[in-house]
Amino acid sequence: MPFQILLNFFLAFLWMFLSSSFSVSSFIIGYFLGIVVIFAMRRFFQSRLYLFRIWAIIKLTLLFTYELIKANIEVLVIVLRPKMNLEPGIFKYETKLEHGWEVTLLSLLITLTPGTLVVDVSDDNGTLYIHALNASDIKGNVTSIREGFEKAIMEVSR
Amino acid sequence: MKNKPNDLILQTVTTMISFIIILFSIHLFFAGHYTPGGGFIGGLMTAAALVLLLLAYDIKTLNTILPFNFRMMTAAGLLIAVLTGAGALLFNQPFLTHAYDYFELPLLGETSLHTAVLFDIGVYLVVIGVTMTIIQTIGESE
Repeated sequence: MPFQILLNFFLAFLWMFLSSSFSVSSFIIGYFLGIVVIFAMRRFFQSRLYLFRIWAIIKLTLLFTYELIKANIEVLVIVLRPKMNLEPGIFKYETKLEHGWEVTLLSLLITLTPGTLVVDVSDDNGTLYIHALNASDIKGNVTSIREGFEKAIMEVSR
Repeated sequence: MKNKPNDLILQTVTTMISFIIILFSIHLFFAGHYTPGGGFIGGLMTAAALVLLLLAYDIKTLNTILPFNFRMMTAAGLLIAVLTGAGALLFNQPFLTHAYDYFELPLLGETSLHTAVLFDIGVYLVVIGVTMTIIQTIGESE
């Protein structure tokens, strides 16, 4: 995966030298041609094509933006309601992610979407303790995180 | 049974952010001639990145990552600044007179090089060295 990006940069530089014009535009043209070549030769590589991973990152960003707007509107409704019948609580969330950066990314995404807040991470990085505004529906919270963010992060790091 | 909290999120974010802060401090350092910035604020910003690393990890880890002697860094910065000022005496100019000229560099084209940059490097090193010496001596005295 890093090898593919390096190869793509190398092909772009090669294109610059072949066309003997050292400018940004020729580099971009070479990069696009390198993408075409790498896509044609994609069965040579052991790992997945890095374009799919970039597409997964874009999808994760869009999902995060959508969730952020939705959750903030929900919090606005809660604040403006005359009678707040909230049931705050802390629940455990067993994550399937392995690397440290994945767990960090997941907890940052959970924290940035209002209504849920990561309080602590267990010592083996396997369990997140999450404070929720509405802890009455723990199962719904867990499944929404698992189906949304965790799946998207797994798509990126697969 | 350790009573140490798990700082996973803080450490991961710090390792990402410190690179960005250091790059921004270098940008501030070089922007100082025409726009706000310069050696002092660049050095402070770099020291701030190192302090962030100190907060997320500890002094031992920082010393293994960056094995610098910050007192020597302060001395080297002062030496660079004084030598830059004294360099003007060689050309029969008053002390601290700066010179600049335009040079044709490969790949960069016509660039103006100024001896004030060397003086600024001295200031930069002094600021980093002094800040880190203060913080480390306060941190180590139990």
